[in-house]
Amino acid sequence: MPDPAIEVKGLNHVYDDKPVLDDLTFTVEHGEIFGFLGHNGAGKTTTVNILTTLLRPTSGVARVCGHDAVTDRDEVTRRIGYLPSEVRMYGHLTAQENLEFFARLSGVPHPAQAAAETLAYLGAEHLAPLRVSTFSTGMRQRLGIAQAIVHRPAVLFLDEPTSGLDPQGVRQLRETIQRLNEDLGMTVFMNTHLLSEVARLCTTIGVLSHGQLIYQDSMAETTRRFPDERSLEDIYVRVEDATP
Amino acid sequence: MSEASGKIFALARHEYRSAVRSRTMAAFAVILVSATLVSVYVSSVEYAAQLADYQTYRAAALANGLPRIAPSPLAPLSLLRGALEYLEIIGAVIAITLGYLSVARERSNRTLALIRSRPVSINEQTAGRLIGAVGVLSTLVLATVVVAVAGVGVIGHDWLSIGQVFRVVLVGLAAVVYLGIFYCLGVIATTRASLATNGLIVALGVWLVVVLVLPQIGDTLDADNQVPGGLFAALGLGHDGEVTILQHFVGYERTRTWIEDASLTKHFERFAFALTDVKERYRVHGLGWLINETKADLAWLLAYALALVAGLRHTLRRQSRTASSTTT
Repeated sequence: MPDPAIEVKGLNHVYDDKPVLDDLTFTVEHGEIFGFLGHNGAGKTTTVNILTTLLRPTSGVARVCGHDAVTDRDEVTRRIGYLPSEVRMYGHLTAQENLEFFARLSGVPHPAQAAAETLAYLGAEHLAPLRVSTFSTGMRQRLGIAQAIVHRPAVLFLDEPTSGLDPQGVRQLRETIQRLNEDLGMTVFMNTHLLSEVARLCTTIGVLSHGQLIYQDSMAETTRRFPDERSLEDIYVRVEDATP
Repeated sequence: MSEASGKIFALARHEYRSAVRSRTMAAFAVILVSATLVSVYVSSVEYAAQLADYQTYRAAALANGLPRIAPSPLAPLSLLRGALEYLEIIGAVIAITLGYLSVARERSNRTLALIRSRPVSINEQTAGRLIGAVGVLSTLVLATVVVAVAGVGVIGHDWLSIGQVFRVVLVGLAAVVYLGIFYCLGVIATTRASLATNGLIVALGVWLVVVLVLPQIGDTLDADNQVPGGLFAALGLGHDGEVTILQHFVGYERTRTWIEDASLTKHFERFAFALTDVKERYRVHGLGWLINETKADLAWLLAYALALVAGLRHTLRRQSRTASSTTT
C-alpha cells in the first residue's frame, strides 16, 4: 500500500509559549483536493509551513509522500509545489525569467522549455515576455500557480489562493486546480476561507480550530451528514459551534 | 553541470541580474564612475604638464650629451589614488546597499518562501548569493579601474605599462574582496532586522565607524601627520630616523596601530597605496617586496572576509529555521 500523500501525526507547535498546533493528526490520500478550513489563527498556515519544510514543528511527525518534512527535507521539497498567500513574484523579471529561475532551483533539466510549457498549459503564454511589475493581481496569481507546478510536483500546497482575486479570477483558479488534479494527478492541499469554492472543488475537507482538527470527511459524506444545512458555510458554523 | 552547481549558478545569475536592473544600483554606479573620472581628470591635467616638463628636460639633456639623465620622478599609478579612495568609501556604501536590496527584494515580493520550499541547501544559497554579488562588485571595480586607467592615458598622456596594469589588477582583486565584506554586512544586518531599513541603518553605522572614524583617528594620532608634508620630512629625518624616534613612543604607537588595525579600510588602503606608488617610500621596491611588506594587511582582509562569509551562512541558516514561526 503506497504512503499517503500527506500524513500528520501528533503534530505540536508552540510559538511564544502559546500552543499553535495541538496534537494534530490527519492524512490526505493521493489524488484528493483537500480543503483545510478554520478561523483566523487556527493554525492552518503553520501546518502548511511545516509540511512545506519552512518551519520545524515542536514535536510530532509530518510526512509528504512518505518522507519526513524535518529529517528528509530534500526529498519532500522535490515532491511539492507551494503558493503562499499574496505572493508578488519578481517584478523586475519577465514571467518566463521568473519561471526559469524557480525551475532551475528545483533541478528541472530543461528550465526554459519547462517554463514555456507551463505557461502554455495555463493558457498564459502571452505573459512570457512581459515584466511582472506590469501584471494585475490575477496575472500574478496565475504566474504564482505556474511557479508552483513548473517542476510537476506530486503535491500542491495553496495558502489562501483566492485572496485578492475578482470573481473571474476565482473561477479561472478553480478550473486550473481541477485540471491539475485531473490531468496531472496532483494532490492539492488548499487553505481557504472561500467556502463556496471549497464546496465546488474539494473532494475532502478538514476543519481546524485552535490547533486541533475537529472535523474531517469527504465532501459527499459531509453533505449527507448535514442534510438540514443549505451550504458549506452553515455546516462549517455548526461544526465550529459544536466545539467546546 | 551538476544539479548543485546549476542551482548555485541560478542564484548567482539572479543576484547579478537583479542588481543590473536596479535603478538604485545604476545610480550608484554612475556616481562612482563619475567621481572617479573627475578625480583622475584633475590629477592627470597637472601630471600631463609635469610630464611635458620632464620630457623637455630629457630632450635638452640628450641634445647636450649629458652622460646621466635623471629618471622621471613621476608615478602615473599614484594618479589612481582618488579612484581607490572612492572605491573605499562610495564602493563600500554600494556593496552594503547591494546586500540590503538583495534581502529587501525577497521580503517585499514574498518570494523567500518560494526559494526555501525548494531543494536548495544553505551552502548552495550562500555560494549562489556570494558569487552573484562578486560578479556585480567585479563589474563595478572593473568599470572604475578602466575609467581611471584610460583617464591617466588620455588626459595624463602616460599609458600604464603591462607591469603597472598587473599591479592594478591585483588591487582590483583586493577591492572586490573588500567590497564583498561590506556586501555580507549588508545582507546580515538586513536579514537580522525585523524592518529591512533598520538593518540598512545598522550596516551604514558600521560603515561610518570602519571606513571613516577609525582611519581618521589613526591618521590624527600619527605624529608624522602633525605638520603639512610630514613632521619627519620637515625635520630632515628619513624613514630610519622616524623609526628611531618612534621607538621612544612604543605604547602610544601600539595603541594607534591597534585602532588602525581594527579598520578593514586601512588594511585595504595600505595594500592598494603600496602597489600604486601613492606612498613615495614604496616606489623603489618591486612587486614581490611590496606584497611581502603588506602581507599582514592581506591576511587581515582575508580574515575579515572569511568571518563575514561564515556570518552570512550562519544568518541564512538561522533565517531558514525561524522566518516562518510568526505565522499561524
